[in-house]
Amino acid sequence: MNRTVMIVDDSLFIRKILRGILVENGYIVAAEAGSGIEAMRNLHSNHPDVILLDIILPDSNGLDLLESIISACPNSKVVVCSSIGQPLVIRKTLDLGAKAFIQKPFTPEKVAEVLKSLED
Amino acid sequence: MDMSPYRDLFVSESREHLSAFAELIVRLEDSPGDSASIDEIFRHAHSLKGMAATMGYEQIVTIAHLMESQLTRIRSGEFMLLPTLADLLLEGGDVLARLISGIESGSDTFEDTTALTERLAAFDPSVEAPPPPRTNQPDVTAVIPSETSDSAPHQFRQADSFKSIRIKTETLDHLVNITGELITNRYRLAESIRLANASECREPLHQLTMLLRNLRDEVFKARMLPFAFIAERFPRLVRDLARKQGKEVLFQLDGKEIELDRGILEEIAEPIVHILRNAVDHGLESADERVMAGKPFGGTIILTVSRDKDHVEVVIADDGRGMDSERLKLKAIEKGLISSEQAAQMPPQEAYQLVCAPGFSTAAAVTDISGRGVGMDAVREAVHKLAGVLTIQSQSGQGSRFVMRLPITVSIINALIVQCGPFEIAFPLNVVTRTLELKRSEILEEPGRSTVILEDVSVPVRSLRQVLNLPSVSVVEDALLSVIVCDVGGIPVAFSVDRISGQKEIFVRPLRSPLSSLRGVSGATVAGDGRVLFVVDVSILV
Repeated sequence: MNRTVMIVDDSLFIRKILRGILVENGYIVAAEAGSGIEAMRNLHSNHPDVILLDIILPDSNGLDLLESIISACPNSKVVVCSSIGQPLVIRKTLDLGAKAFIQKPFTPEKVAEVLKSLED
Repeated sequence: MDMSPYRDLFVSESREHLSAFAELIVRLEDSPGDSASIDEIFRHAHSLKGMAATMGYEQIVTIAHLMESQLTRIRSGEFMLLPTLADLLLEGGDVLARLISGIESGSDTFEDTTALTERLAAFDPSVEAPPPPRTNQPDVTAVIPSETSDSAPHQFRQADSFKSIRIKTETLDHLVNITGELITNRYRLAESIRLANASECREPLHQLTMLLRNLRDEVFKARMLPFAFIAERFPRLVRDLARKQGKEVLFQLDGKEIELDRGILEEIAEPIVHILRNAVDHGLESADERVMAGKPFGGTIILTVSRDKDHVEVVIADDGRGMDSERLKLKAIEKGLISSEQAAQMPPQEAYQLVCAPGFSTAAAVTDISGRGVGMDAVREAVHKLAGVLTIQSQSGQGSRFVMRLPITVSIINALIVQCGPFEIAFPLNVVTRTLELKRSEILEEPGRSTVILEDVSVPVRSLRQVLNLPSVSVVEDALLSVIVCDVGGIPVAFSVDRISGQKEIFVRPLRSPLSSLRGVSGATVAGDGRVLFVVDVSILV
């Protein structure tokens, strides 16, 4: 079962909402990161099962970050969570190895559903 | 899902987006081709839209979406950021700020925004519209302070949430008070130990002193905020004022990263707005006038913040018409503030300070004469309350400079303690430039005026006894007189006192009615032996 999750989003507001949804659904929030640099730093110490990743961050190109995360932590499942809705971008993230895409704004049900779908 | 627990966070984060949004629009207007700025502006509008959608605030989503659409057109190169669109986007930002304030206060009636959304949707770059009438709306300066003033918490954006927490500003105020009381009590303890000659207590007392110093430093550090906290709205303010006046103004802000106590920031925000407003409205000439005078078409206002040991200096300089010291004097004579004799002796740098005299001017009366003076007495009062000093410099035709010298922290200050008759009086150390001992013969007695020459400058000498209406004492001819020299708005003034007893760190407490009406006293503190020391406001004593 996927127990631990890391949330990467530059918005504290979004992080807290995601944390609320995750905790309610029985997950453990292993770490929160507000930037790409923080995400990479936390990755090694936490090895989360799942990473919820916003790909618009002030300090990094989201797609590059996605690649770095996947190569640094191949066992973590990355779910991209973004308001970019262009099909091309969504395809690209999935091609790079993301397991799913959550469109912002999201509902708690959608987040729970996507996380459940990742269970083996 | 119940979203109410996230409301506060939504409010504070939305405000960050909005203030960055407005700041960037103003900046983009100055350098229209900056694509990184457009992307950044877009990102703020977009994030806000997403957050509002998550919370279900449809009205905000609609406005943010329309603003985003117009920004997309700029981003794609369809047109540049025109002043009319900048107006509209800034107005949109203001409306959003009001909606968010409504959400914060829990009100469920929201203003009607259909007119704005229609204008946003229908914006046509080829139609040159007049600047929107801003008069019937709350003034920018009136809307935005509500974000900075009350108890807006320090934002720990992108900070590691495990390493930083939000603290109520009230809690920080309590910490300062407790620390201040501890410092006062340490003096009492030290006094008792000295009286009891308890030498075994000296070492722990020394330790206590060191720890208290650390505590004080840490508490103050926690209260510090960068100047940017209040300055973010200044570029926008100057821009709007300039546009209203039909003037072109380049506004430059330096040193916004410098940190000050949040209490001080709170107190100086409005005075600075006041000075900026005066600079745009009265200080800077119209474009025609400037060209006639051989100056660049657009005016410049530079706000510089710099730190110097225990003080922060905020300087607001413009390259406008400056002030005419002779006309200021005439005006002051007319108002009965000074006599013609006083005016004749008054050096120009002293005359500029006249604009701060209460009752010196009303807006209309002074605009054509000096270009200054509107409510400057309130500005000076605010600076003095903080134990700061306000100095005005000017050169006719060249511009004016308003210099605020402020302590970095409030409440706990270093003071020079002097003895005068039955009183012990504390002078804030930042106004004292030097102390010295003078022989009677060194003081030049002229009718109604005593002076001493210090480094080639003639400095007026006042007897503190006289100022305080205490009986004067006969002095032995050869005895040395203790004198402290203070900087009062850029002018040195010397006070003769009975005795200088030393320097002390004191915790200043504000006085309440009826003591608050005492002239020349800005606060009080309790000495080690329980006596009350008054802290003087030197500018009032002069």
